[in-house]
Amino acid sequence: MNLALVLDSLPQLLSGLLVTLEITAWALALGLAASIPLALMRVSTNPVLRLPVFGFIFYFRGTPLLVQLFLIYYGSGQFRPELEALGLWVYFREPYFCAVLTLTLNTAAYTAEILRGSIQAVPFGEIEAARACGMSRGLLYRRIILPKAFRLALPAYSNEVVFLFQATSLVSIITLLDLTGVARVMVARTFAVYELYIAAGLLYLACTYLILWVLRKVEYRLSGHLRPREAEPARPDLSPAGLP
Amino acid sequence: MAQTAPALVVEDIHKAFGPLEVLKGVSLSAAEGDVIALIGASGSGKSTLLRCINLLEIPDSGRIRLRGEPLEMTRDRRGQSRPANWRQVDRIRSRLGMVFQSFNLWTHMTVLQNVIEAPVHVLGKPKREVSEQAMALLEKVGIADKASAYPAHLSGGQQQRAAIARALAMEPEVMLFDEPTSALDPELVGDVLRVMRQLAEEGRTMIIVTHEMGFAREVSSEVIYLHQGRIEEQGPPEQVFGSPRSERCRQFLASHLSRDRNGPTAAAVAAVDQPTAS
Repeated sequence: MNLALVLDSLPQLLSGLLVTLEITAWALALGLAASIPLALMRVSTNPVLRLPVFGFIFYFRGTPLLVQLFLIYYGSGQFRPELEALGLWVYFREPYFCAVLTLTLNTAAYTAEILRGSIQAVPFGEIEAARACGMSRGLLYRRIILPKAFRLALPAYSNEVVFLFQATSLVSIITLLDLTGVARVMVARTFAVYELYIAAGLLYLACTYLILWVLRKVEYRLSGHLRPREAEPARPDLSPAGLP
Repeated sequence: MAQTAPALVVEDIHKAFGPLEVLKGVSLSAAEGDVIALIGASGSGKSTLLRCINLLEIPDSGRIRLRGEPLEMTRDRRGQSRPANWRQVDRIRSRLGMVFQSFNLWTHMTVLQNVIEAPVHVLGKPKREVSEQAMALLEKVGIADKASAYPAHLSGGQQQRAAIARALAMEPEVMLFDEPTSALDPELVGDVLRVMRQLAEEGRTMIIVTHEMGFAREVSSEVIYLHQGRIEEQGPPEQVFGSPRSERCRQFLASHLSRDRNGPTAAAVAAVDQPTAS
């Protein structure tokens, strides 16, 4: 075990980690933003809205992420003239853009499906109570259904965040120098396979732990209504009417 | 007694779920300050009637007027009845306070947040002003100390009183109660009934679906007995409870009143009679 080599390569590994974190952050932010309208379309009774989203989710959940990545990065080359005509080629020729786009679409599909489940799990009585107060559909979604659905979705979404973070390692295959990409290049240079991949693995592990810690904090903050009541001085409530 | 314009008029409501005809033409009229008790066996259509009033169920036909404003209904291509204008439905719903059998508080919000939610976001009132009113309402229903608790931390009776405060916060013209005490432990029923009695004494217009016969008899100004989707007996409580014309109503009351006298709800009704401590 060549510890000196690991320490020497640490700056480069950390710059790779920065790329990994950047890509993760972009894909998560854009994917989450896209997943909300997608989930709403997915639960719509209107087939014109529901079916395309169903197809989108079905495709992105049903095929390997690597295939999706190849399809968007290499596949777009086949449509270069069309993309140039649209002025989009400058984006599609960049592996960074293709990586973020693929991961965004992938996480949007998974997150939309998680959200669909939690939207449908919102208790019907609470929806009825909101309707009975005169809430319009928009207000009902904004104030009651989505806030409740987010809370219900959070544990499953934590999984999705960690999964996406690990999945970014695939982008090294389309030439990006993320953490895995940097480790690969340096292994090729030094043949210190064991040391470098362990170092990379430990960096992934540390970040995953950090991500889970943050998500747990968020979950805790949003779940006060599910925790047992904090201890308070017992107040005897003896009479049937609850009077002292 | 001066003639007042009816707060709520419901005319000839029909409602079927598939082949099952639940309401076969029911009408009622509530004057300002009336307390109408809807009684009847389960399946008689009393809850459906209440839910048709604020369009949680869309009646197949019939007319609804709130303080003279008719609810516009139309029919879709397949001949299904539906509201002509959902905005109007939302507006009318905001003027009707609904209390459910299973409370239906929003569990991710505290009691206070539950109470101020609709006044702030539906009526667009300033949060500060609404919060003060909400605290006064929670005081009135006796759970001001629970304002910052979540519904899961309250007993059923406290939850139902929070739900009543939530409905009152909208300053509704008519309150609709759908079996408000049926999901409660017998010893908690009294708390809720006491609050409802207080509201009735304040002159609120209320329509109450209930199995609490003692309460209906004492508090209501009119009792309607529904049987298989039709009004079988209707009148002031002394008449309906004292000398019902219909044999079915007589039997229904006989079975329910004996249960009230012997069963646990007798204690609850007795509790209602206790004076409120201030």
